[in-house]
Amino acid sequence: MPTATAAKKKTVRINGCVASAQAAKYADVDVIAAYPIRPYTATMMALAQMVANGELDAEYIVADSEHSQLSIAHGASSSGARVFTGSSGVGVQFAYELYSPISGSRMPVQMMIADRTLDPPGDFGSEHTDALSTRDMGWLMGWACDAQEAFDNHLIAYRIGEDKRVLLPQMVCQDGFFVSHITTDVELPDSGQVREFLPPYKHPYPLDPRHPVSHGPQIMPEQGPPLQLERARAMEDSMAVIEEVHKEFGEIFGRHYDPWLEEYKTDDAEVVFFLQGGHGVTARFAIQHMREKGLKVGMVRLRTIRPYPTDRVCEVLSKFKVVGVIETNMALGSPASGGALYADACAALYEAPERPLVISFMAGMGGEAIVLKEFYWMTEKMIQAQKRGKIEKRTHWVGFEE
Amino acid sequence: MSYTELTVWTRGIIMDKEGRDIVNSVSASARREGKHAQAMENYVDNPDRTNAPTRKYCRISDEVLENELTYENEHPNIVVLVEGTMVKGWDYMRGMPPGGTLIINTHYSPEYMLRFVPGPERLAQLVCVDAAHLAHHKWLYYRLGELGLDRLSTEGAAERSKLIAPDIAAPLIAAVVKSTGIVKMETILPMIANKNAFEMALSEMKIMQFNPVAV
Repeated sequence: MPTATAAKKKTVRINGCVASAQAAKYADVDVIAAYPIRPYTATMMALAQMVANGELDAEYIVADSEHSQLSIAHGASSSGARVFTGSSGVGVQFAYELYSPISGSRMPVQMMIADRTLDPPGDFGSEHTDALSTRDMGWLMGWACDAQEAFDNHLIAYRIGEDKRVLLPQMVCQDGFFVSHITTDVELPDSGQVREFLPPYKHPYPLDPRHPVSHGPQIMPEQGPPLQLERARAMEDSMAVIEEVHKEFGEIFGRHYDPWLEEYKTDDAEVVFFLQGGHGVTARFAIQHMREKGLKVGMVRLRTIRPYPTDRVCEVLSKFKVVGVIETNMALGSPASGGALYADACAALYEAPERPLVISFMAGMGGEAIVLKEFYWMTEKMIQAQKRGKIEKRTHWVGFEE
Repeated sequence: MSYTELTVWTRGIIMDKEGRDIVNSVSASARREGKHAQAMENYVDNPDRTNAPTRKYCRISDEVLENELTYENEHPNIVVLVEGTMVKGWDYMRGMPPGGTLIINTHYSPEYMLRFVPGPERLAQLVCVDAAHLAHHKWLYYRLGELGLDRLSTEGAAERSKLIAPDIAAPLIAAVVKSTGIVKMETILPMIANKNAFEMALSEMKIMQFNPVAV
């Protein structure tokens, strides 16, 4: 049923970077910590314009590096501000020292990631390695597959991260180019709806000279275990909050997301792609075409990777005969000697009574678009494995094999 | 199924907006006509450099664009050179299927310009339009060095960025629409700021027809 304010919604044609900036505006952020690196730069540019035009009342601080950028974000969040920052590729890496302190002090900083390859190849294309390399630092993390989802994920992530049962920072990720620079229709909500969904942020223990508190003090070794346990629990406890918040988001805005997985044509599927991010868009087209030829192929797209939905992945993926993990990240020397998604998926599947065959596909490296014929090729590999009853090998480098 | 690719070659910074205006207005018009269309910049060209060749893309189809996430137009049916000297030096005709259209911003005739075009046998038509003259920007757009200096300043940039095709993009868009019929004149004209230059181009452009090839 349309809400009273629904009439004020509007649809605009913007790319993922601008969608993220719009989301920060709708979230009415207090502090923006910026430092340019492509493709994220387009987001900080859009925000700078909003602040300059008086559309957004926020402190806009340009740092001298990503390390300073995240330090500013950390400090601002400690003071009780709602903070927005972002980066790409090697920029994400340069700030690495700050990720654990920010989650350790339970600051719900939000960071937009527009993926870019690390060096090498350091090109502008998207590999998820930049953000994934920080995946165990206590940040909530997930990927959008288009600009609308990116916009929505920012609002959803603030609401989850700022929940007092959670209080954790969030990385809201989107592929460079495939999402960040592809222009699509995005529905911007009525700001009244956003206020209803995401009320102003109030940190329970901000730095305040009138009420002195300590953030991140030096501690003794025996104080370490409880501190770490608390952070681990916050991550675990966030799962219930994530489900609750997605449900409420759907009720208010009319877009209902499964918080963990998007299943596409999986009802009778025997082989599925397991991936995250923008390549899911092309995967849907490829699956439509292969279905016309009678192939029982589907897709499971991971929307949230931290916390990892272990039980859900186990339940869903164990329904199929073959799972083809499309990595778009590098995890050199990892269990599959390919990407990082394989190891998590296999760990989740370990307790399943019946396990599918799992193959890791190294595709889209260097940010190459994964084209329809590559999806066909990967499907063929999965079907061969299904017929054979075993995999040919754990990892295929797509485009380098017959 | 009808599927068309339009690739615009322009020069970084100094004529960047002009190139962008062409693909954006054509794409927006196509969508208004109920087609599927996208416009984008060549991803690896950004951040652009003064005078460096950069590309802008538009794709129009009757059906959903399944190649929306690919970086480049691999088979452009229509190519526009926003600056005339770009006719030499690299293969902007690469991938063009037979029956294509090349549009050049120049005061020279198509007969003269044809000699510089690589692989001209793929062309159904070569269109020359003196966009700088028609948009009354003759001195500036004919002297790239001075244009570069002019665009070093942000003076006037905010005003320019608010309008679609306030200058040389307008006659170039007119040339694209008239020579190819890619979108309807009445759809695109209301978007164009410099209507005078647009309309003058309709009668002033020089079209050299070859044997059209069925696409």
